Amino acid sequence: MSSTQPLPHGLKSDQLFVNLGPQHPSTHGVLRVGLTIEGEIVVKAVPDVGYLHRGTEKLAELRGYPQCVVISDRWDYLSAMNNNLMFCLAAEKLLKVEVPERAQHLRVVMCELNRIASHLLFFGTYGIDLGAFTAFLHAFREREMVLDLFEMSCGARLTYNYIRLGGVMKDVDAAWLAKCREFIEFFKPRLKEYDDLLSFNPIFLDRTKGVGRISAKQAVAWALSGPNLRGSGVSYDARKFEPYCGYEKYDFEVPVGKDGDCWDRYYCRVLEMHQSVRIIEAALGMMAEGPVMGKGVAKVPKPPPGEAYAHVEGARGDLGCHLVADGNASPYRMHIRAPSFINLAILQEMLVGERMSDVIAILGSIDIVLGEVDR
Amino acid sequence: MTKEELKAALEKAFPGLVPASQAVGDYLTLRLPDAAQLLPVVTCLKETLGFEYLDMVTATDWLGPVNLDGFIREPNFNVFLPEGATAQAEAPKKTAGVEYRDAIELVWCLSNLKGRIKVFLKLDLPRGGGKAPSLVGHYKAADWQERELFDLFGVRFDGHPNLVKILTPDFTVGHPLRKDYVHQKDRFD
Repeated sequence: MSSTQPLPHGLKSDQLFVNLGPQHPSTHGVLRVGLTIEGEIVVKAVPDVGYLHRGTEKLAELRGYPQCVVISDRWDYLSAMNNNLMFCLAAEKLLKVEVPERAQHLRVVMCELNRIASHLLFFGTYGIDLGAFTAFLHAFREREMVLDLFEMSCGARLTYNYIRLGGVMKDVDAAWLAKCREFIEFFKPRLKEYDDLLSFNPIFLDRTKGVGRISAKQAVAWALSGPNLRGSGVSYDARKFEPYCGYEKYDFEVPVGKDGDCWDRYYCRVLEMHQSVRIIEAALGMMAEGPVMGKGVAKVPKPPPGEAYAHVEGARGDLGCHLVADGNASPYRMHIRAPSFINLAILQEMLVGERMSDVIAILGSIDIVLGEVDR
Repeated sequence: MTKEELKAALEKAFPGLVPASQAVGDYLTLRLPDAAQLLPVVTCLKETLGFEYLDMVTATDWLGPVNLDGFIREPNFNVFLPEGATAQAEAPKKTAGVEYRDAIELVWCLSNLKGRIKVFLKLDLPRGGGKAPSLVGHYKAADWQERELFDLFGVRFDGHPNLVKILTPDFTVGHPLRKDYVHQKDRFD
């Protein structure tokens, strides 16, 4: 509706500024979006970030490399394993360390479990954003089991610091492997349940189908990554683009959407959980006894001067780390390609023309973690 | 497309492009002779070579080891020691052979999603000023990333539609990721 359109009884319409956040349950953290609406339609959206900026890239310039792994947990705290891995891969390129076979498999298992845990949180909270509470309870029951597995392996439930330079912190025992298999067997039928409960629920479909469309061209122009990019039909996955940790040995598919709407982005994540299950099963099958820590990693590593870039497929997208070393015990410069930060930028374009009631549906479907947006 | 083919194609079209003395890992890393070359090179990469995806824009300040006054706490990593205790970690020192210089080095990473190849472009800007052309016209993804560099490094991008701070609070003085940044005490310290 435009303000020039005549209204009955001599009424006038005007634009209204609505402040969404920074304290709002559906912004999943501290994100503020300044919305200008006209009637029910958004005409301008200005995302405002930085409320959680902790300057971790600066902090790293005075921390040793093993300490940076601890910092890495705090970016995307919902998939901290992927963050650990991303930093370790970059640092290992500088240190030229070989990672043993068993550690590679353990890294893959942990990262895929973490991807499942992260997507489950998305699945649950996205339901809540749209008014479906039941899915949340189901998702958190399963996520709890994954967190229990992590607790068994490294003692932490959220910030793991499990993947270390040269390998992993500690080997897992037979009880852990049995429990992991048990979880996979429990989880597989649940995926079907999720589809019945939420994915093909008519009310949910009404709220998400055709809402917040991103064309493939737009998604590439804004450099979206992860399920946001694949939801628009662009098949780009760092695990296939530049396989790391032996991902080329696993047989898995990269699910892509068609329309690039909220539902496609949502369903890409659900399908990714299917693929993660496949990868975990294969990795557990391939795992052989052996060391879990590479040789030659000093307590205080001092890589020779050089630059490295490593990227992994995190739960939210293409997570990259650009490391510059100048021979000191701490990185000279560390830059994180944070997928949430880059994915969020498209909001200013895609919210325009959408209904006010769909803003939350769109924001939720982008699936951001503010710890990673602000770093 | 292989790394060598890409290198040959770019060096033929732009004789000024040289391989950077410090490459980013195994990736093809090219140094731009001056800021004016950026837009033609990027246009060529995007239009003819299929690099439609701007992976990342970042920068490195090559002034030298970081100024410790830029941090709020003493460089005392053991949190159980009292404030002001002797620093346990050694402060970063200059290493011989590293090209420290009075420059901020911008790094762009572009991807060809179908060809499965990445290329890194580097450009030195003088620390005192100097502008780089903005890539917002080519890649919308440059929007926030250039704002981030403006905020944290003070790099100015010509032609950016909305070059304002993005991550640090309004009261932050200076650009925190510059190596000579000195932290100004504020009411949160």
